[in-house]
Amino acid sequence: MIPGRAAIVEGWPLFLTSLLIGIPYGVVARQVGLSIPEASAMSLIVFAGAAQFATVELLRTGADGLVIVLTVVLINARHLLMATALRPFVARASLPRRLGLAYVLTDEAFAMGIGWFRRGHHDLTYYTVFGAVLWCCWNAGTLVGATLGADIQDPQRFGVDFAITASFVAIVVLGVRHRADAIVAVVAVLVAAALRLAGASAIAVVVAGALAPMAAFALREDRR
Amino acid sequence: MTFWLTVVVSGLATYLTRSLPLAVTLRGTPPARLRRYLDALPVAIIAALAGAGIAVPDGTPTGGAEVGAALVALGVAAWSRNLLFAVVAGVTAVAALRAVGL
Repeated sequence: MIPGRAAIVEGWPLFLTSLLIGIPYGVVARQVGLSIPEASAMSLIVFAGAAQFATVELLRTGADGLVIVLTVVLINARHLLMATALRPFVARASLPRRLGLAYVLTDEAFAMGIGWFRRGHHDLTYYTVFGAVLWCCWNAGTLVGATLGADIQDPQRFGVDFAITASFVAIVVLGVRHRADAIVAVVAVLVAAALRLAGASAIAVVVAGALAPMAAFALREDRR
Repeated sequence: MTFWLTVVVSGLATYLTRSLPLAVTLRGTPPARLRRYLDALPVAIIAALAGAGIAVPDGTPTGGAEVGAALVALGVAAWSRNLLFAVVAGVTAVAALRAVGL
């Protein structure tokens, strides 16, 4: 299958999710008093779902802009890790191309892109197409939600919100090559889940993702 | 800070987290330890995203539906080696488990 087509075929559950999560984002943004251009501008400029929901919640509670920016940075710090991990696969691309790829770097694009590269592909088309379509879906969903404003049925009832998490689970399973990978994955899942249950949602993924690879070192040291 | 300033600064900060590692060129080969760390990083981050999504899918702790559905997705992924099958199975499972009140 050609890469662009593969990105669409494999990515559609996430495109649908992005669209369907964009709608409630648009709705809640309107509910805290943002205009349609303001709600859409955040999706165009920030383009980060978790951070945008957090921003809306903080706006609702009347938080200072500085607090909002710090929260956004904390939530999005994981991009530093993802971009670092992505680097070897995009190293041969030109700087403008890499800057473009960076703009559409999301959890989903990273996971799908890494999944593609790990299957032995070297093209950037898959990642680019996936990232661009996801961007369109997120912004389209935002616009729909902001326009409707309210009265959106709960997508949770159909389990659509779980598509992202299910994709992450599958990508990990398909990406595990040896025992160390499996141990790193289990550690990351447990640490992230524990941190979130403990209320440290903003830093859960960053901390768990950054610490879990240490488990691989520990394992190798034990063998020596 | 005004709304617009907040959004623009948030956007710039977010873009920096995305672009810095891709824009800055490092010279030489990174040490073996760093390479092993970076090698393990993708699986770790995606697993962390999965763990966070399973534990608190939308900010409020729920029942076992997500845990059960994640195990279904895991099983189907391991068995079929197919991403799409696993996602569809996971979504179907979570909808079914939520329907029965988990």
